[in-house]
Amino acid sequence: MRAAAAPSVTTRPLIGGPTLTRAALVLGGGTLLLGVVVVVAVAMGSVGVGLGDTAAILGRRLLGLPLTESWAPSAETIIFELRLPRVLTAMLVGGGLALAGTVFQALLRNPLADPYVIGTAAGASLGAVLGIVAPLLLPGLAIGAASAWLGLGIVQLLAFVGGLGTVLLVYAVARGTGGTPVVTLLLVGYAISSILAAGIALLMFASGRALGAIFGWLMGSLTGASWVDLAFAAPLLALSFIFLLARWRRLNVLLLGDAQASHLGVEVEREKLGLTMLATLATSAAVAISGTIGFVGLVVPHLLRLVIGPDHRLLLPASLLFGAALLVVADLGARLAGGIPVGIITALIGAPFFIWLLRRSRAIRPVPSP
Amino acid sequence: MSVVVRAESLATVEDVWFAYPLPDNGRREVLRGLNLHLLRGELVALVGTNGSGKTTLLRLLAGVLRPDTGIIRFDGRALGDWRRLDLARRVTVLPQQLDLPVGFRVAELVEMGRAPHAQRLFGATQADERAVARALADADALDLAHRYGDELSGGERQRVLVAMALAQEPTLLLMDEPTLHLDLAHQVAVLATIRRLRAQRGLTVLAVLHDLNLAAAFAPRIVVLDDGGVGADGPPDEVLTPALVERVFGVTVDEARLEDGSRHLALRL
Amino acid sequence: MASRLRPRLLLALSLLLAACAPAPGASESSATASPSSPSATPEAATSYPLTLTDDAGREVTIAADPERIASLAPSNTEIACALGSCDQLVGVTDYDDYPPEVADVEKVVVFAQVDVEKVVAAEPDLVLAAGNELTPTAVIDQLSDLGMTVVVLYPESLDEVYANVELLGVALDEQAAATELVDGMRARVQAAEEAVAGAERPRTFYEVSIFEGTIYTAGEGSFIASLIETAGGEPITGGALSTSIALEDLVAADPELILLGDAAYDPTVTAESVAARPGWGEMTAVRDGRIQPMLEDPLITRPGPRIVDGLEALARAIQPDRFD
Repeated sequence: MRAAAAPSVTTRPLIGGPTLTRAALVLGGGTLLLGVVVVVAVAMGSVGVGLGDTAAILGRRLLGLPLTESWAPSAETIIFELRLPRVLTAMLVGGGLALAGTVFQALLRNPLADPYVIGTAAGASLGAVLGIVAPLLLPGLAIGAASAWLGLGIVQLLAFVGGLGTVLLVYAVARGTGGTPVVTLLLVGYAISSILAAGIALLMFASGRALGAIFGWLMGSLTGASWVDLAFAAPLLALSFIFLLARWRRLNVLLLGDAQASHLGVEVEREKLGLTMLATLATSAAVAISGTIGFVGLVVPHLLRLVIGPDHRLLLPASLLFGAALLVVADLGARLAGGIPVGIITALIGAPFFIWLLRRSRAIRPVPSP
Repeated sequence: MSVVVRAESLATVEDVWFAYPLPDNGRREVLRGLNLHLLRGELVALVGTNGSGKTTLLRLLAGVLRPDTGIIRFDGRALGDWRRLDLARRVTVLPQQLDLPVGFRVAELVEMGRAPHAQRLFGATQADERAVARALADADALDLAHRYGDELSGGERQRVLVAMALAQEPTLLLMDEPTLHLDLAHQVAVLATIRRLRAQRGLTVLAVLHDLNLAAAFAPRIVVLDDGGVGADGPPDEVLTPALVERVFGVTVDEARLEDGSRHLALRL
Repeated sequence: MASRLRPRLLLALSLLLAACAPAPGASESSATASPSSPSATPEAATSYPLTLTDDAGREVTIAADPERIASLAPSNTEIACALGSCDQLVGVTDYDDYPPEVADVEKVVVFAQVDVEKVVAAEPDLVLAAGNELTPTAVIDQLSDLGMTVVVLYPESLDEVYANVELLGVALDEQAAATELVDGMRARVQAAEEAVAGAERPRTFYEVSIFEGTIYTAGEGSFIASLIETAGGEPITGGALSTSIALEDLVAADPELILLGDAAYDPTVTAESVAARPGWGEMTAVRDGRIQPMLEDPLITRPGPRIVDGLEALARAIQPDRFD
């Protein structure tokens, strides 16, 4: 923590980023926390499966241990086919959203930026709604075959394509107005989101019996998580994370502003487009398998910046780990609370903690007036 | 003769025209056929009225803007042929205004100046560490190393910006009004530091300055921008005459000779 | 953006689902069973494996006579129990209140959310889901993917209720009981139809709910609308696309009879409170004092065997003279 590190001026090396102990503390702690919450989340649920049985089932299925089945077959289904994929999906989605939120907040230099800010949510939602409604209107669509070939639901596929495509569109339109200053990007994103939202509302109005499904999707939910969804989203998120982490230095430099970043050798426009698309890749992959879950992508990056500082070389992996842990815990809460939308839980546990931290950090280090 | 000049030239601006596009599809011409040669190791002050194109010229030299016509060369090569990153290893801009991002310590900010030289994916090389330490020392900012960038006073900030620029280990340092918002003592301190560094590091410095007397005291060569071109170019004694000041700036000044023989311009209100 | 839509959507959704509205072009399919043995007759015993087509148009194969049944909708529970399979139920919803013996069965649907873990833990060999997203498609797919036998039942007319009863009769090997049950239902429906035959048909408005000025009612061609018709009324509906009706359209339609389905759940909805609503006073029904709470709403909106009780209640409310 920054407050604790401040007095150790003499022992701290000047540069080179976080010390190894500090990085190990943050990332090791995050990994440990994530591991613990994953185990707890898999072990807990509306149906009681003993901790021993849970461990034995996982040991047999994941590690191939030759354990005799002392449990009901349904317990194995619950642990391995329901809870584990769901917990891993929560992990992936939480990590992906927090990662993307970190990048967008740096890129747009806007504290209110979240992964959805320049149109991902609206685009993915429209895609998903189309995916829900289209089969009812036009059975046997070719795209159904395409998504079946990918082993992925048409809803997930269109949500993914919609999210990615919308951001490209927003970028193209913003560029057409000359350059892509942050404000233009945000405003164009807002305008296009509004148009898409109108489309969503229209489809919902005409959706008849599919309304429930549409509604469930828009609320954001990890119900129905499956290994197939995971196999789709995990590589995309991994790809996004690796390429984003490799760009940590440019993300830091962009915090100095476009002009200074350019003076420091960054091809600003190209870099911003690349970073935007990488973050959108993570967002779209997450949204495709979970709907639009709010809050994680907005608050986790802020939380971490307050605690570990703004250096992206630590912030990016930390946001992945802690975002993942937060959503796993939140989803466990949502499951235990009878399947309420997970967004309610993320807000309920995240927001008060965030306010507490804001107040506390203000006390440590008052923000100077210019 | 021209061969000799070329050998010493670090940067040349040859018949450069530049205009900003206006929202109504018009254009605001800023530079009209400007020519300028910067010699290696020179210390040059750039003066001129507001809107005369001083900052534009710096941005053109930094490669952030491209000339409409004409050519700018750095080290004999047209700027357009330089990779952004390669240029950033040689040309640094000390900006007029920079909001330091919240939460970074000064040492970390200065390390950002090493970005164009980065060798390692995550850590810093020994060369990076040396460059940062030297930049902090040279900019008289060692005592600030562990402070947060967003907690500094104006004078401290300016020292940090200088350190960031120095960490980049440039050949050419472009400064845009480095003394703006500073009190007199800090103005003198910053310029004295730059002068010292030029001598120590063999830097070439082009500094936009608004105070003519400060410019005269600071730089052995003064370039006056006027009417989209170079209005005057030479030693302060030759350039900063009451006649030129009246022609370029439209104000009347009195000339005073100081005891050491240097000239001082006094505003007449 | 989307988040701003949500609170309103939530309300609209719950109301819509409560209205049991059909979609435009809703499937008229009544589920059909095609026993794998060609010699099967309606009265014969079912031979397994049995392949049938459910109300979602899915082909489902039931391997053997089901012994453990999970019901994800109260109407499904009632049909199963009416066919004598009540003691085979291993999972029901927290809405289930009939017959009383299901109170002790494990609740696998809580607050309208299917708890998939609990369904799996109940180890059913047959899952009876509901259509129209009352059981979300995602859940149906998930249960099927886990290898469960899921049959979707979603009747949208009396004939489709009969068909569902007969389908379950085949599926549960209770064909005789199913035939007897359907015959009894048909007879009572016929009696009600005869009782109201030839009577003047009042324009009847059935209020499902009202929220923030939006009035929810039966959609055109919906189950409720068809029941009102059978019960001797002329239903006023919200049109083909909508389950809500604008107040001015309602005033223009001028109902002669207002039935308050929401009175079954909300004691503040009464004839007096409705008459006092601004703009409602002009309606013939209000002037004539023909506003009636329908405490039988759970029967009317639950497409199980007791739908006939609901129909009879509607007929008595719409044509009271014929039931003296």
